[in-house]
Amino acid sequence: MSAHERPIRHMLITVILLTCGAVMVITSAAFFAYEFVSFRQLTARNLETLGKAIAANSTAALAFENADDAREVLSAVRAQPHIIAARLYLSDGRLIASYPDGDAGKAPSQAVLDDGYRFTAELLTGVQPVVQGRRRMGTLYLESDLGEVYEHLKLMSLTGAMVMLFCCVAAYLISVRLQRSISGPILALASTAKTVSEHRDYSVRASRPEGQEFGLLTDAFNHMLTRIEGDQTKLRSQLARLDLLHRITRATGERVDLPSVFRVVVRCLEQDLPIDFACMCGYESGAEALSIAVIGAQSAPLATELALSEQSKVPIDQNGLARCVAGELVYEPDTRVIPFPFPERFAKAGLYSLVVAPLLVENRVFGVLVSARRAADAFNSADCEFLRHLSEHIALASHQAQLYGALQRAYEDLRQSQQAVMQQERLRALGQMASGIAHDINNAISPVALYTESLLEREPDLSERARGYLVTIQRAIEDVAETVSRMREFYRPREPELVLSTVACNKMVEQVVSLTRARWSDLPQQRGIVIQLRTELSPDLPEIMGSEVEIRDALTNLVFNAVDAMPEGGTLTLRTKFVTAGSHAALDAARYVHVEVQDSGIGMDEETRRRCLEPFYTTKGERGTGLGLAMVYGMVQRHSAELEIDSARGAGTTVRLIFSVTEAVAAPSGGVPRLHGPVQRLRILLVDDDPLLIKSLRDILEQDGHVVTAADGGQKGIDTFTAALASRNPFSLVITDLGMPYVDGRKVAASIKTASPNTPVILLTGWGKRLLAENDVPAHVDRVLSKPPRLIEVREALGELTAGPDSQATLAESA
Amino acid sequence: MAAAAPVSEYQLKAVFLFNFAQFVEWPASAFPQTSAPFVIGVLGKDPFGADLDDVVRGEAVNGHPLAVQRYQNVGEVRDCQILFIPAAEFGHVGELLARLKGRSVLTVTDADEGPQRGVMIGLITQDRQIRLRIDVEAAKVASLTISSKLLRPAEIVGTARS
Repeated sequence: MSAHERPIRHMLITVILLTCGAVMVITSAAFFAYEFVSFRQLTARNLETLGKAIAANSTAALAFENADDAREVLSAVRAQPHIIAARLYLSDGRLIASYPDGDAGKAPSQAVLDDGYRFTAELLTGVQPVVQGRRRMGTLYLESDLGEVYEHLKLMSLTGAMVMLFCCVAAYLISVRLQRSISGPILALASTAKTVSEHRDYSVRASRPEGQEFGLLTDAFNHMLTRIEGDQTKLRSQLARLDLLHRITRATGERVDLPSVFRVVVRCLEQDLPIDFACMCGYESGAEALSIAVIGAQSAPLATELALSEQSKVPIDQNGLARCVAGELVYEPDTRVIPFPFPERFAKAGLYSLVVAPLLVENRVFGVLVSARRAADAFNSADCEFLRHLSEHIALASHQAQLYGALQRAYEDLRQSQQAVMQQERLRALGQMASGIAHDINNAISPVALYTESLLEREPDLSERARGYLVTIQRAIEDVAETVSRMREFYRPREPELVLSTVACNKMVEQVVSLTRARWSDLPQQRGIVIQLRTELSPDLPEIMGSEVEIRDALTNLVFNAVDAMPEGGTLTLRTKFVTAGSHAALDAARYVHVEVQDSGIGMDEETRRRCLEPFYTTKGERGTGLGLAMVYGMVQRHSAELEIDSARGAGTTVRLIFSVTEAVAAPSGGVPRLHGPVQRLRILLVDDDPLLIKSLRDILEQDGHVVTAADGGQKGIDTFTAALASRNPFSLVITDLGMPYVDGRKVAASIKTASPNTPVILLTGWGKRLLAENDVPAHVDRVLSKPPRLIEVREALGELTAGPDSQATLAESA
Repeated sequence: MAAAAPVSEYQLKAVFLFNFAQFVEWPASAFPQTSAPFVIGVLGKDPFGADLDDVVRGEAVNGHPLAVQRYQNVGEVRDCQILFIPAAEFGHVGELLARLKGRSVLTVTDADEGPQRGVMIGLITQDRQIRLRIDVEAAKVASLTISSKLLRPAEIVGTARS
């Protein structure tokens, strides 16, 4: 017996014994009480009977006062051992006889006793009247002890105890037998329940005992186990489905293109649900056929039987497929009885049960999941439910894949536009900074320009070599001036002041080669490095429209970059090509001139290639400004040209400028200066805060015969002018710088015009081009000249402004 | 038991006469009417004095009030239920019994010498105690039923013996 079996058996036995015991104790107590009372009554009645008999027999003895007879009558009580005294009294109270003999002495007076029988503490006493007819003859007194009662009770107790003992033993034996029929089934049930709970084995069953209630209990228990087992099985299969659903969902979540999502779903279904045939079809809204997107690998042999293959079409019949593309899950438990082409195909291939689940996104069916099994009626409601859920998940995953693609494209667009914006922003900032620099540079090179021009013009005795040097200096100065004037502009699209002229690219390439010789030949050679330079120039290259200076600059920059990319030496190639796109015969065929700068250097990686056009992006560390290619790019944009960069790390770099060739517009060929003879002598006030500029400009103007007074600073200029005006020796013209501390050129011009409206004012500025371009010529200024001033322009302006007083007023507008 | 109280002999005998009425049954024919008194007769000279009257005064037997009548001679004896024959009159007993023949009269005498000669109850004085001697047959002849209780303390005699 195991530990937990003990209590119920013992309890049953204890209960039975206690019940028996209690019943017997109560019964015995009642019985004893009854017996005690009734026996006392019986004893009293017996005594009374005896008393009456004695009294009846003693009437005559009392009537005739016969003491002997009376004594004889009393002696009859000897038969009763418990009677300890008996007395007869005459009617007048005299004692006539007593029992036992000799008791007379202690006989009490009868007067104290009434008639009747009564119990005292130890005794039962009786006073019996002796009556003959109606006449009382005397009194009989009887006294009995209670020994008989006690003896009787003692006997009864003994008997009762024996009976109880016997009953208890009997009850124990019976209960031991009977409890088995109760505890047996309960313990059996308990041990079954224990087995179930310990091993989680719901397939065990308790054996059915006899007896209706226990039978019912066991049946109920077994029924419960059956239900639990069923539920357990159901739960397990549900869990398995959930797990499958989870795996499929996760697998589909990792994929972002529809075919691979479909493929993973089909594979999972075939292996794990499992089903005999699975395929996914795509559906275009309103189409009359489904297109098979994916067929499961295991389903392939069946697919050939079904005459289905990937990319083939399945017409939507009236039955299941039509309902399915309307968004309904369709289950055909037996395809053999469905008279429609699609189910008939399956029936022919031996697939008798078929589920078609729609893939729904936002109430639109975009696909169908087809699953089939060989057996008929092989999908239960849980399977259908699973497929429904699965199709929802697939739909969601597919939808997400589509969204993901869209998002990727949107992100790419956004990134590109962000880059463009950023580039614009950087260029704009750079432009602002560049214009400040340009101003300073313009100031600085002004004396160089003026003196060079002056030398070339006025010194005919110069040697050829000196003249050549001066020409180069002049060109370099012009380039510098062009460059700085362009610095703030290079990010803008083509601007009005971009002066287009025809450019012969081959000639320009040669110029660039000679301009940059020091970089690609002399400097590397000092370090023992050899850079081969090759030019491949297309002979029949048409001229293009553009700014020669800008393009030359750009090419120079590209050559510098190429040299920097070949620290160990290599080959530098400059190439021009004429490319015709489309038919040659067509008049409107696009024609392009390619100008390429190719090196065999280190090349660029993808990141560098992507960013190399950004201003300030450099790979040259301290040596680079990050502006070279950015300026090239600005030039390309202004020329509506294109820039191509072919590069890979270690494979060298080719930068290609692509200019479209348009019909050359007959551009006025500039550069033929009109020579002015010496003009009339003028009294000129020169206002500037830069002493070098004042000196150079004064030298030049004085050489032309003018009288020049200089004032360094705006206020001084105004003072000088008003002083001259007051002394009746006014200036005939004022040249003032624009940017000066405290009092700038605008104020100077305004003061002068206030004092003398007819005196022409020329504003000389490093920002001149911009002022002109923005049509922002300040009031009171008759002419704006940019720095560095060209001698020709200055003379021209002086000539025009002093030609006649009439023309002066209109000159400002015409500028 | 000693008669300790100062009770005279005839006082006791008067009580005895009265007590006989308790232990003897008379036939209904013994009374002329149902309401007739129960008469205790005393023949000859009355030895009781007033004692007998004291004893029966106010008493009744079976609805018959008790009365005492005294007869000077046998010829006077009329309807009575108990007739006491004092020892002094015992000489007339033959004549008396003949006269009472066929009538239910309980005859009592205290003559304790010799046989009773047909008197039903004799009161015999022995050791200063009065004993009863009863002739059951004589009573039976007179249709009287004597209670067996009365017979217990009595000495039974028969007519044949006398």
